[in-house]
Amino acid sequence: MALAKDIYQQLEAVVGPENISGSSAVIWSYMYQPFGNTKGVWAETLPEAVLLPKSTEEVVAIAKICNRHHIVFKAMSTGWGIHNLPGVKGAIVLDLRRMNSILEIDEKNMFAVVEPSVICMQLQVEALRKGLNCHIIGAGSNTSVLASATSVVGYGPDGLSMGFSGRNLLGVEWVLPTGEVLKLGSLGSGDGWFCGDGPGPSLRGILRGWEGAWGGLGVITKCAVKLFHWPGPAELEMKNAQPNYTLKEPIKYFRASLFNFPSLEKLGEAAYKLGESEVGYFITRLSPAFVGLQMAGGMNFVRLWESGMPQEMLKYALLFVIFANSEGEFAYQQKVLDQILEETGGEASPLAETEEMQGLTAISVIKVDAVTRSCFRSAGGFNTSFGAMDTIDLALNQVRAGTELKNSYIKKGVLMEDGGDNSATLVFDQGHMAYTEVLLMYDNHDDKSTEGAMAYIGDSNQACLKKSLGTPIFQLSQVGTGKHGLFSPACFNYDKWQKEIKRVFDPNNTGDPTAYTEPKK
Amino acid sequence: MLLDLNDYRNDMKRCARCSICKWPPLAQMKSWRFSQNCPAISRFNFHAYSGGGRMALGLALAEGKLDEADEELSNIVYRCTACGACDSSCKYNSELEVLWPIYATRARLVGAGCFREEHGPIIESLRREDNPLMKSKSERGRWAEGLDVKDLSKGGQAEVIYHAGCLYSFDPELSKVARETVTLLRSAGVEVGIRGAQESCCGSMAFQLGFQGEFIKFAESNIDDWNALGARKVVTSCACGFGIMKAVYPLLGKKMKFEVVHISQYLDELIREGKLQLSKKIPLRVTYHDPCNLGRKSEEYVPWKGTEKKVLGQLIVREPEKTVHRGWEGVYDPPRDVIRAVPGINFVEMERIREYAWCCGAGGGVKTTMDDFALWTAGERIAEAQSVGAEAIVTACSWCERNLRDAAAAQGKKMQVLDIVELVKQAR
Ligand SMILES: Cc1cc2nc3c(=O)[nH]c(=O)nc-3n(C[C@H](O)[C@H](O)[C@H](O)COP(=O)(O)OP(=O)(O)OC[C@H]3O[C@@H](n4cnc5c(N)ncnc54)[C@H](O)[C@@H]3O)c2cc1C
Ligand code: SF4
Ligand code: SF4
Repeated sequence: MALAKDIYQQLEAVVGPENISGSSAVIWSYMYQPFGNTKGVWAETLPEAVLLPKSTEEVVAIAKICNRHHIVFKAMSTGWGIHNLPGVKGAIVLDLRRMNSILEIDEKNMFAVVEPSVICMQLQVEALRKGLNCHIIGAGSNTSVLASATSVVGYGPDGLSMGFSGRNLLGVEWVLPTGEVLKLGSLGSGDGWFCGDGPGPSLRGILRGWEGAWGGLGVITKCAVKLFHWPGPAELEMKNAQPNYTLKEPIKYFRASLFNFPSLEKLGEAAYKLGESEVGYFITRLSPAFVGLQMAGGMNFVRLWESGMPQEMLKYALLFVIFANSEGEFAYQQKVLDQILEETGGEASPLAETEEMQGLTAISVIKVDAVTRSCFRSAGGFNTSFGAMDTIDLALNQVRAGTELKNSYIKKGVLMEDGGDNSATLVFDQGHMAYTEVLLMYDNHDDKSTEGAMAYIGDSNQACLKKSLGTPIFQLSQVGTGKHGLFSPACFNYDKWQKEIKRVFDPNNTGDPTAYTEPKK
Repeated sequence: MLLDLNDYRNDMKRCARCSICKWPPLAQMKSWRFSQNCPAISRFNFHAYSGGGRMALGLALAEGKLDEADEELSNIVYRCTACGACDSSCKYNSELEVLWPIYATRARLVGAGCFREEHGPIIESLRREDNPLMKSKSERGRWAEGLDVKDLSKGGQAEVIYHAGCLYSFDPELSKVARETVTLLRSAGVEVGIRGAQESCCGSMAFQLGFQGEFIKFAESNIDDWNALGARKVVTSCACGFGIMKAVYPLLGKKMKFEVVHISQYLDELIREGKLQLSKKIPLRVTYHDPCNLGRKSEEYVPWKGTEKKVLGQLIVREPEKTVHRGWEGVYDPPRDVIRAVPGINFVEMERIREYAWCCGAGGGVKTTMDDFALWTAGERIAEAQSVGAEAIVTACSWCERNLRDAAAAQGKKMQVLDIVELVKQAR
């Protein structure tokens, strides 16, 4: 069903002819989406057109046209993953690439106002100059600040010191699927961007729920996010160390350490204690395969893996980074850390101690710039399983369950051998929250491997239910409409509320429901 | 055949769609204002214009989802300066080829007879006049009239041959650079010869537009001629020529008995050896623009040929292992060293440099066929130079100079654009 000519013309009048396309070439470039795809790399449903709006006014005008003509639309910021594409026929895509300004950095009140396509690295480099820093999600600094804050998950390993995107969200400008503009928090009462919960309507729960509406509830055109104190220099100078960039000079009061623990339980205990003691910049549990894949690709990885070194050295390992303001604070944090290690039997590994490793680790934890390499380059296909944001204990239970289940699929030869435990576990909110996802690498161009991967994901979803391991975040968006029903009976029937929200905020169901939910009938 | 889209199927199938190709390597980003690296996506915005988007289009084409005759496809394919910035950024995280599938997509369109009308006269000019500029072959050597230099078209041999390149030969404003190059080399005691009217295009334009047959013809005949003339060193001031001779000529399998040297490398060497002395002070605040073809695109390209196999279940490994060209081995320091050798000069770097330099906008046939896009791209570079307070941009490529000068003039910007040779000449 091609867009009727008159509708196309109405949309074209809004964005200008340069910024709308229904041509096959443009559309096919958007159809390429390996992440989250159940087969190969191409999405199944072709959108009718892609639009590049430049302003809130243009988004409003588009939404109104879509409402008048019952056309489904869906927004994307950087567009990484199949959940960016509408799953219904006859829909249009709003690529928000032209809405890419950092509108304000309020140094005194420590927040930034951004448009959708500002990526974390753009915001970080501007913030650092003002002595501030921003939270970067684990996917990397190539992702949109706004998308994580308003629409999708938002955890990252610097969460220990910089929270979680959903919580860092302040004022919001939101174009509802109907075209109405809703301003949240202090913005809603004309008091600026500084607060997400008022004065003015506090609808963060509606906007995001727990993990975000994945583009199913209209378009967020601007938002403010909290910034954090940055103890380092205004600019980080790099040097080349093929294939990496690394720090030219070490930074003051920065120390990355790698610790091994006698067991997963002890590791969990240390993570709780470290969180509660409110020290540290960054914490993540490092699984052997994840680190190995960061360090090496292809045969280099195979050699590393077959040496057994990462499995041996990183069996129960935490990467912990102190980044302090002064010598005194550094010494204090180190002392706290030493005490916790003593209590939990953690031992420092010499691996991270060299100046070279300190430089490399600094870049990967501050800049979060090397995620693609560990996820996609080994087998092509990449996905994740489990992944409820909950407590540290639950996260570790997910690791246990995931390792066991995944190993059974690895034995069948359908997934890449990574010891089963290829996971990233992060702690945020002072140890009260944690997140883990059990990663899987498979060949997405090999039917047997892809079918195996999908079967594993299906089984992991069932394991989450059976073992009460929480709702796996990514699966909710990937499994599509109606699938919330799989988990909601175990979780207070949350999807009833979701459907009700969808009905009230989107009466014509023009916000693509695929990765979110259909409205209540 | 040098360029076959099917050779890149696996690269195109394994693009992660992460968009990292739209920015400089993330750790090297320095400001919001200059945080883009790809002129095409920056100017046209649809994902199709980025390196990753082009991988998707290449794959769609190879799989028959798109038709070579699609007009919009052709627009997208050629609105790209083939600068390779996407390729360099992508390879920070992967081992995928991005630039070569871009070339191969062009070759695929040309192979299917779907070339653009505006490319017709260029190719015609190459065929008839040995240059892509619609200039008469007979006028090629005129730039050297009156110079004390051995014209090899009249016979003889030379160990060092200077290849001026098309634009330095024919552009009345830029041919001064070719003259000054010869003068400098002679004054440093180098016995240099030129091919005069017999010099021909390096083939770069044909290659970049996807006309591989034409390219091969030029490349082979140049190699034959230089071999026959006894050359040990072929020196060029044209970065496009240098890039193609270094990166692509070796793929033809012909023995090249000579070394290819860019003038910036040669000047650097002569200054170091004390054969060229720079004594005049130039109290100018300058920055340096890395030409793509002198920088990231001048690494010798070794196409991977082999088999893929699976180990550790589904991990894909290549046998033999692949050489990854990240663009880090380009010519970056010699031109900078030459600039620093100029007395009194105040050299400042821009934000996007070396393997992640922003393209001037002229490459890939864009200057010749889509000048507005070329000028827009150059305008961005001039703004970047202005942001570091530079009064002049020094560069080392005729196409970059032409485009940056045109953009400065068109946009009324006060910015001198100097060839590295001009700078050295002024400092003598
Ligand atoms: C390898 C990999 C690792 C990941 N790791 C993490 C991780 O560690 N932490 C994490 O939080 N997430 C992670 N993700 C998930 C997800 O990709 C990110 O949360 C997301 O990338 C956020 O930014 P983006 O620019 O890519 O958003 P996009 O991909 O553009 O959008 C993400 C979703 O939000 C919607 N959306 C985007 N912009 C708007 C808008 N303005 N208004 C309304 N809806 C909008 C889109 O429709 C889409 O459904 C990962 C993804 C990948 C591929
Ligand atoms: S070409 Fe490379 S950098 Fe660009 S989207 Fe694909 S994998 Fe990412
Ligand atoms: S070659 Fe240059 S212009 Fe073309 S897509 Fe890559 S970065 Fe953009």
